[in-house]
Amino acid sequence: MRILDITLKDLSQIVRDWKISLFLVVMPFMFTLFFSATSAPAEADARLPVGVVNHDPDGVLSARLIETFEGSQAIRIVSLKEAEESQVDSLIEKETYAAIVIIPEGYSRQLLAGEDIRPEVIAISDRPAGHSAVTAIRGDIKRVLSAAKGAQLSAEVADSRQPFAGDAARQAYLEEGITLANAAWDNPPISTEMKAATRIDTERSQSTNPAAQSSPGMIVMFAVFGLITSATVLVAERKSQALQRMLTTPVHRWEIIAGHLLAMALVTFLQQAVLVGLGQFLLGVDYLSAPVGILLVMAALALWTASLGLLISALVKGEEQVIIWAMIAMFLFSALGGAWFPLEFAGKAFSTIGHLTPTAWAMDGFQNIVLRGGGNGSVLMPVGILMAYAAAFFGLAVWRFRFE
Amino acid sequence: MKILDIALKDMLQSFRSVFAVMLMFVEPIMITGLIYFAFGGLGGGGSDGLDLPMTRVVVANQDQADATSGISAGNEVTKILQSEELADFLEVTMAEDEAAARAAIDDRKADVAVIIPAEFSKAMTVSGARATITLYHDPTLTLGPGIVKAVIDGIMDGFSGYKITADITEKQLARQGQTMGPDTLRALAISYTQWAQNQNTTEGASADPTISLRGPSGSRTPDDSPLAGILGPVMAGMLIFFVFFGGAYTAQSIVKEDEIGTLARLSTTPTPSATILGGKLVSVFLMVLVQSIVLLISSALIFKIQWGEPAGVIAMTLSMLVAAAGFGILVASFIRNTRQGGVMLGGVMTLCGMVGGLFTAGFNTPSGTFDIISRFVPHGWALDGWKLAMSRASISEVLVPAAVLLGMGVLFFVIGTMLFRKRFA
Repeated sequence: MRILDITLKDLSQIVRDWKISLFLVVMPFMFTLFFSATSAPAEADARLPVGVVNHDPDGVLSARLIETFEGSQAIRIVSLKEAEESQVDSLIEKETYAAIVIIPEGYSRQLLAGEDIRPEVIAISDRPAGHSAVTAIRGDIKRVLSAAKGAQLSAEVADSRQPFAGDAARQAYLEEGITLANAAWDNPPISTEMKAATRIDTERSQSTNPAAQSSPGMIVMFAVFGLITSATVLVAERKSQALQRMLTTPVHRWEIIAGHLLAMALVTFLQQAVLVGLGQFLLGVDYLSAPVGILLVMAALALWTASLGLLISALVKGEEQVIIWAMIAMFLFSALGGAWFPLEFAGKAFSTIGHLTPTAWAMDGFQNIVLRGGGNGSVLMPVGILMAYAAAFFGLAVWRFRFE
Repeated sequence: MKILDIALKDMLQSFRSVFAVMLMFVEPIMITGLIYFAFGGLGGGGSDGLDLPMTRVVVANQDQADATSGISAGNEVTKILQSEELADFLEVTMAEDEAAARAAIDDRKADVAVIIPAEFSKAMTVSGARATITLYHDPTLTLGPGIVKAVIDGIMDGFSGYKITADITEKQLARQGQTMGPDTLRALAISYTQWAQNQNTTEGASADPTISLRGPSGSRTPDDSPLAGILGPVMAGMLIFFVFFGGAYTAQSIVKEDEIGTLARLSTTPTPSATILGGKLVSVFLMVLVQSIVLLISSALIFKIQWGEPAGVIAMTLSMLVAAAGFGILVASFIRNTRQGGVMLGGVMTLCGMVGGLFTAGFNTPSGTFDIISRFVPHGWALDGWKLAMSRASISEVLVPAAVLLGMGVLFFVIGTMLFRKRFA
């Protein structure tokens, strides 16, 4: 009962300040919306814009190249206007286009004659959009080159058997070969297909919902940040000697610590509940497909962050120090745990270390339900590991805790 | 002289605050450091500086070799996936069958399963036959499966290219009443394979046979490190965010002094209020100047960030300083007490940073709408200017966002000063 009294006192102190809601709910929700919006395609056509200047308008290969670009799933081509042609560098700098392709005059003729001629591609290929566009352009050009090579080889075979009557006959044979090859490339004999390993049916699949990464990510990040409010209450009590005064009452030391810990955990749990609700109903992230599993992850994350908050408040002297350490913890645990970006994007060392953090396990717990479509049982391992972390941090905090 | 005394006192106070030092100097470097570490900056990165993640691939090769030619295309695909060239980012194991490969993904023992169908070799040799390789992958992953798909697509295009060449040769010969024969087919295979290998070995090199790649003229070359391409904008975002934060945090000292009564005490001395306010403004400007210089130099030394040509860097630094100082004074003029200050600063700065695209710089290219919205806050113009400076755009191009920033800074400064004068009149 005394534990609950301390918890309720802390909670009333925290919720009394309306500004707290800004950091606990409004800001994380704004970040979730923002990151979802910036990751989502702005237009119905999400392909990368690529400008094209065709100086070989009558060429058979350049026409095919444009056709191949038009059918691309990665790039969306835009014919550059005359005025834009002189500003290609600036258009790339300003990221109006991910890349610009300039097909040179005589491209088809020279290529079929076996001469070295290549389209000029302008791109900042060390930026993600530029790199992806260049990769797609290169793949499309290789298919056109392959068609041309196939036609050339076919013409060589025919020529070796029965020499062509003249250049015109050879050219006609070549062009027929290119037409056949192009038609074959429209439906290549060997292809690949991607299938996501999820128990969620295709219609409800979250793999294309950017909020499925940003919503759990922001929940985890702001759960760590949210401990500022509750840890500050504890530090303020120590500074005002209210903690020392409590020792003169018949309340046990462990009851005081447990009361404060429970308050911290409840604040984080309620914050998560609001953010999960907003994610479910406003952003379409399917948390409620396994409600018990989600509750378990939320509870375990709340207990771990509360233990971390207790540890920070045990180690620091003033409120400003709480903010500094909470922010450092937030940056470290969020980045390493994959709350900012999926750990698969990071290098080996980073992702190996990252997978050891409690935040990575919290992300795993959420994503096992939201993306993998696992049931309530799929969170048992992440929850177990989070609880072990909570116990370890709690032990450290109790060991270092000072009432004076 | 009194202006400088007040400014120096404020600066000293700020430098003594661990909180301010952490906020202004340590956090921007720390966040960029985390990104640097994440993308391979601390060793382990490839020659291009970007550390590609390791993707665990499990292959279920159900392909049955072609009975007549003995060709096993499935084995060829497996060999390529297991080759040394790919060993740095693909860890390949074999599964007994499709079910085992799928189970490895479901149990998270592998990231991508490559399922090669039984009729794969047949599709390579028999006219009209088709085959599809399935890539079954963990739904939380996009990059690893994307890399595997790119590798497989490259191999498939090679196979398809050969098959198409053989098919069209056969068709064209048939139209002339001839048949191809095994010798011709073998010769075709050799010629096409040699050509395809030549295409792949020179890809990415200066003698790239497919395209002639270049960066925007006068700018970085395509050979620049991809890591630098991410880190530069990230650090620019952090620089802008924390310099604006630093400006507003320092400007808050006016409110703090008012709250603890030292401002009233100062006004009993023979110091005109214009001098007091001037001193505060100089301190804000000097603080953000020191902060900018420290962050620019330290990030250049630690992360090897190339901020651009001196003229562009100077233009952007000065205009950003004026904008940050002016914005800080404007925001501080609305703050009634320091309790309100934390929330106001946190809220306004985060919102402006978000709108200005500072938190996604380096990762996402802003779409049309976001790009337009970002122009309503100085942060968006500052990011635009730094990106231009870093890509070594001409000084005339850098001067556009710099001039807008300068104009915004002066406007904020005038409004903020007027509000403060009115308040402390």
